[in-house]
Amino acid sequence: MAQTEQDPIIRLKNVDKFFGDFQALKKVNLEVFKGQKVVVCGPSGSGKSTMIRCINRLESHDGGRILVNGIELNDSLRNIDAVRSEVGMVFQQFNLFPHLTAVGNLMLAPRLVRKKSKAEAREIAMRYLERVHIPEQADKYPVQLSGGQQQRVAIARALCMNPEIMLFDEPTSALDPEMIHEVLDVMVELANEGMTMICVTHEMGFARSVADLTVFMDAGEIVEAKPPQEFFENPEHERTRLFLSQILSH
Amino acid sequence: MIVVGWLDEFMWGSLVVLQIFFLALIMAVTWGLLGAAAKLSSNRAAKLTATVFTTIFRGTPELLVLLIIYFGSAITLTSIAQFFDPEVKFVDIPPLWAGSFAVSLIIGAYATETFRGAFQGVDPGTVEAARSLGISSTKTFFYVRLPQMWRLALPGFGNHMLSLVKDTALVSVIGLEEILFTADIATSVTIQPFTMYMVAALIYLGFTTVIMYGVRLMEKRANRHLEGGR
Repeated sequence: MAQTEQDPIIRLKNVDKFFGDFQALKKVNLEVFKGQKVVVCGPSGSGKSTMIRCINRLESHDGGRILVNGIELNDSLRNIDAVRSEVGMVFQQFNLFPHLTAVGNLMLAPRLVRKKSKAEAREIAMRYLERVHIPEQADKYPVQLSGGQQQRVAIARALCMNPEIMLFDEPTSALDPEMIHEVLDVMVELANEGMTMICVTHEMGFARSVADLTVFMDAGEIVEAKPPQEFFENPEHERTRLFLSQILSH
Repeated sequence: MIVVGWLDEFMWGSLVVLQIFFLALIMAVTWGLLGAAAKLSSNRAAKLTATVFTTIFRGTPELLVLLIIYFGSAITLTSIAQFFDPEVKFVDIPPLWAGSFAVSLIIGAYATETFRGAFQGVDPGTVEAARSLGISSTKTFFYVRLPQMWRLALPGFGNHMLSLVKDTALVSVIGLEEILFTADIATSVTIQPFTMYMVAALIYLGFTTVIMYGVRLMEKRANRHLEGGR
């Protein structure tokens, strides 16, 4: 299928997802265009993480269609690896490879997937470590880094594959408060450079300043999707209002 | 010293032990990895096969396994050979290979459980991270799962290696001239059982000490990424 500039880079159409009898996603529809920044929020268990995990097929959906970069996600393995190498993912728990140094974490995928030489991979890795402002930590192992540093290494690791899209699954939720801003700063820089991003986060300040679209999910459904200004000032649904009052009240 | 006259025999016996050790070690690691992979897979046939494997080889005396494999294979091979040439009296798998194979199955069965536990100890998040980077599942296994699993498996696997060395003593019963066999012969000639068996024991102790030291170095290396953690 031909990809044009006007087509969304990510398209979810009536996506359903079940875990046993539990329906985690109910007819979810979402379109994300190149360069857009989407912030997804909602109570825990609302299907936010499940949705973005479906976009790089860490979970497989049970109904509907998902297209990423013009490629339909289905049971064809070749497609899935192609999609994954174009879609970077950052996890709540960082998920760094503990047996590799920071720079080793960054070099692995370029070497194994992009077939770069060791020297090339190291050069790429150092470039991205500089971008997340921790080149001096290159030769440390993950346990020797703070949470904020680990998450920045994880972001750099995803960027090394030069992805079209970055997915963030609650990237600051496991961090001590004083480290949240250093990770958000990196994410804001990335957004300003034009990266297409979907972030599951409760950092509403980030949503206000960066997002083009704010999505509120509850019980497996997208309840509301609006630009942040409208979303925060004029939420349409009762559920959205209740959620916002809970997270913004303190 | 009467032992001196037997030193070269003991040395040859030690070489045989080393041969069995390395052959069986390679095979045991293979069985262990395959068994662990099968037990952790969602394929029911694979799971069942692995369970039968570990049940049999952990559940029968090691000496019996060795005898059954050696004589079982010899009887089978002999009858096949006799089918083509009735003159043949006896065909067997070389005792070195039969012995290594039998020992490897036993140790492999124990290693299956050690490796299975170790694989389960690997944070599944790191595997997801690798897959999300587009790294294939085979490469994820070798570059992400295996190196992390190895650290967790080492203490248990060190024990298996010690068992393996000691199990080589069993192989004397199928006529392989290893250390215990040499001690038997030396005893029957010199009538000094205590001396000869002590020599055999000391040689084994030498091997196992080296292995224990080696495992300690490997553990240190495998844990180096945890030093200075906060």
